[in-house]
Amino acid sequence: MKVVVLLSAGRHPVSGLGALPRLEAQAIRLGAALGPMRGLHAGPDAEAVAEALGRGLSEIDHVALGAGADPVPALAAALRAAAPDVVLAGRRGQGGDETGLVPYALARALGATLIPDVIAARPGSEPGVIEVEQALPKGAARRLVVRSPVVLTVHSAAPEPRPYAFGQVRRGRIEPLAVSAPEEPAAVAIAEKPYRARPKMMRGAPAGGSAADRLKAATGGGEAVQADVMVSPEPREAARAILAYLRQVGVLPPPARAG
Amino acid sequence: MTRARRDPRSERAAAARPGLTRPRFELFARESGRRPRRNPRSETLAQQVEGPSRLRLDRAQTGRAAAALAPERAEPAAAPAPTTIVVEAPAFLVAVVPDLAGGRLSLHDRQLFDAARTLAGADGGVIALVGTEGAEFGPAGADRTARVAAPEGYDPDARAAAIAAAMAALDLRHVIFPETPDGGDLARRVAVLAGEPLFADVEMVAAATLMRPARGRRVEQRAAPARLITLAADAVAPYAGAPREARDEPLDTFAAPASAILSAERIPADPARTPLGLADFVVSAGAGVTDFDAFRATAAALGGTPGASRVLCDAGLMPREAQVGASGTVLSATCYLALGIAGAPQHLQGIAGCDHVVAVNTDLHAAMVERAGLAIVQDAQAVMPALIAELAREREASA
Ligand SMILES: Cc1cc2nc3c(=O)[nH]c(=O)nc-3n(C[C@H](O)[C@H](O)[C@H](O)COP(=O)(O)OP(=O)(O)OC[C@H]3O[C@@H](n4cnc5c(N)ncnc54)[C@H](O)[C@@H]3O)c2cc1C
Repeated sequence: MKVVVLLSAGRHPVSGLGALPRLEAQAIRLGAALGPMRGLHAGPDAEAVAEALGRGLSEIDHVALGAGADPVPALAAALRAAAPDVVLAGRRGQGGDETGLVPYALARALGATLIPDVIAARPGSEPGVIEVEQALPKGAARRLVVRSPVVLTVHSAAPEPRPYAFGQVRRGRIEPLAVSAPEEPAAVAIAEKPYRARPKMMRGAPAGGSAADRLKAATGGGEAVQADVMVSPEPREAARAILAYLRQVGVLPPPARAG
Repeated sequence: MTRARRDPRSERAAAARPGLTRPRFELFARESGRRPRRNPRSETLAQQVEGPSRLRLDRAQTGRAAAALAPERAEPAAAPAPTTIVVEAPAFLVAVVPDLAGGRLSLHDRQLFDAARTLAGADGGVIALVGTEGAEFGPAGADRTARVAAPEGYDPDARAAAIAAAMAALDLRHVIFPETPDGGDLARRVAVLAGEPLFADVEMVAAATLMRPARGRRVEQRAAPARLITLAADAVAPYAGAPREARDEPLDTFAAPASAILSAERIPADPARTPLGLADFVVSAGAGVTDFDAFRATAAALGGTPGASRVLCDAGLMPREAQVGASGTVLSATCYLALGIAGAPQHLQGIAGCDHVVAVNTDLHAAMVERAGLAIVQDAQAVMPALIAELAREREASA
């Protein structure tokens, strides 16, 4: 199974310095279990993705692009030539426009199926089929069997990235790749200015409520007004009350019906 | 043009009150047409209470004095009973695609309707594109609802195709999705399928501009509303206006394309393995718990992820990953069961996001008891076996 990992020239969320996004490092680890793997980066500077070599990739293809150019046509052309079974990517870029559209646009260009939020992947029982596990909210998951080619975006709950190894960076190779991609007209620039944090909506705060109401909503404990306090109940009675409460809020399934 | 020249002498003469020995003037009459000027003297007079000889003022009655002073103003009509707002022929439609997790509108879903209302303005209508019946969309702020074909099982591409088809059929001006794992995924699929621009993760919505953060929240981008929009959580308030009619809008059925997903199977969360920050239900032990075998059995029987207070983690009685609180894990659980936890502020910070808290504590005045929706003032070592026994009894009764 041929695997390509898409690498982006990310920025660290705190320091703003160039760094490999964590999701892409996790993608490298996921891909290593699937088969021979190469990295692919389109951008002005090949050195921006050298860190990925230290995370377990041995070869990266670099498509030279002007700064600010749309990478999708170039990546699509490179992927069409390579024809991988699996393309791995982060869910969203980090430090760029961060729209998260690139994997979707590539999946459409390649005619591949996109599966988001993947935490595990292994070859399926028959050729041309891959088994992936997808993270759902609250720790649940979904197991899917998909026909390749697939584009997988990685979820942060996937296995930890491999530790960084300097020797591998020295040994790894970044090779320039020439592709003939149609020149896209440059996207319309969007007006930008420095970010200003705005007040967020407060969950549960009543509209038009007083400052005291809002403080209560912010620190939690909104329901404590009608709190139910049982002082020194029989343990059995207490257990019944707890179970009834847990069922009422829906975290405990109701008792199985006799039948 | 010059301003009309004022003649203070004749103005004053016109304001003179006739029939008094001493010259007196009604100077406030001049102000008519402007904001009424307050006259503290006449306000005080109006506040005088008739009766005993001593002067008494009713200061709470400021309203009467102001009313006496103010020129007639249009009486605000009594608040009408909330009637359903009907938009007969909207000039254009703004669509909302709620996640409807579990068939219900979440808070985030409701916020979409308010954003859609802002974009629709006075002429437009808001339409909810939903796959399932059930939830009430009128009170949430939908003028119309349309059923888009919901594919069986997991097939996001078919859903995206159905929404793209609805977008073309109904000539939707904007479509708003929630920026959640599901909603964000769907929005991007629709964007590449329809070839429309997507303005993702919007944090501010006005009729003519949207704002989204970019480059690691270092800059914000502003643009006129794109056709496809995903809205960040808690960026706008949920729709709070009068209910709307949510009339059914017929939509042609849509044949879904064949899918490359051969099978999909949902694996429920394993509470013992779920990371604490993701867990839906956490059963947590504090220094009041001494019987750890009973605690682990309780957590397993209830299907909760085990957590602990810092005291236990410091003592090595529970693993560090289990620590809840400011220096441990901040929970996103729906329900928190606290066994023998006092509720120190550092601990409460970790559970500020939990909707429901149950506390078992021997101390009636513990902060956790105050925070809880259900508090049991009892020894945790007695309640834990009782919980296990009660669950076992239920299982037996049903077997
Ligand atoms: C910088 C800093 C960071 C901290 N961060 C955290 C953090 O992240 N998480 C955290 O948890 N703590 C944190 N702490 C510690 C915190 O201040 C408290 O010390 C700690 O939470 C207390 O834990 P506890 O409630 O389990 O223990 P205690 O305060 O000892 O309370 C035990 C409770 O159990 C009750 N009890 C006793 N016996 C029984 C019984 N048989 N049955 C039922 N109830 C019984 C008692 O009435 C009491 O209310 C932090 C402290 C500092 C200074």
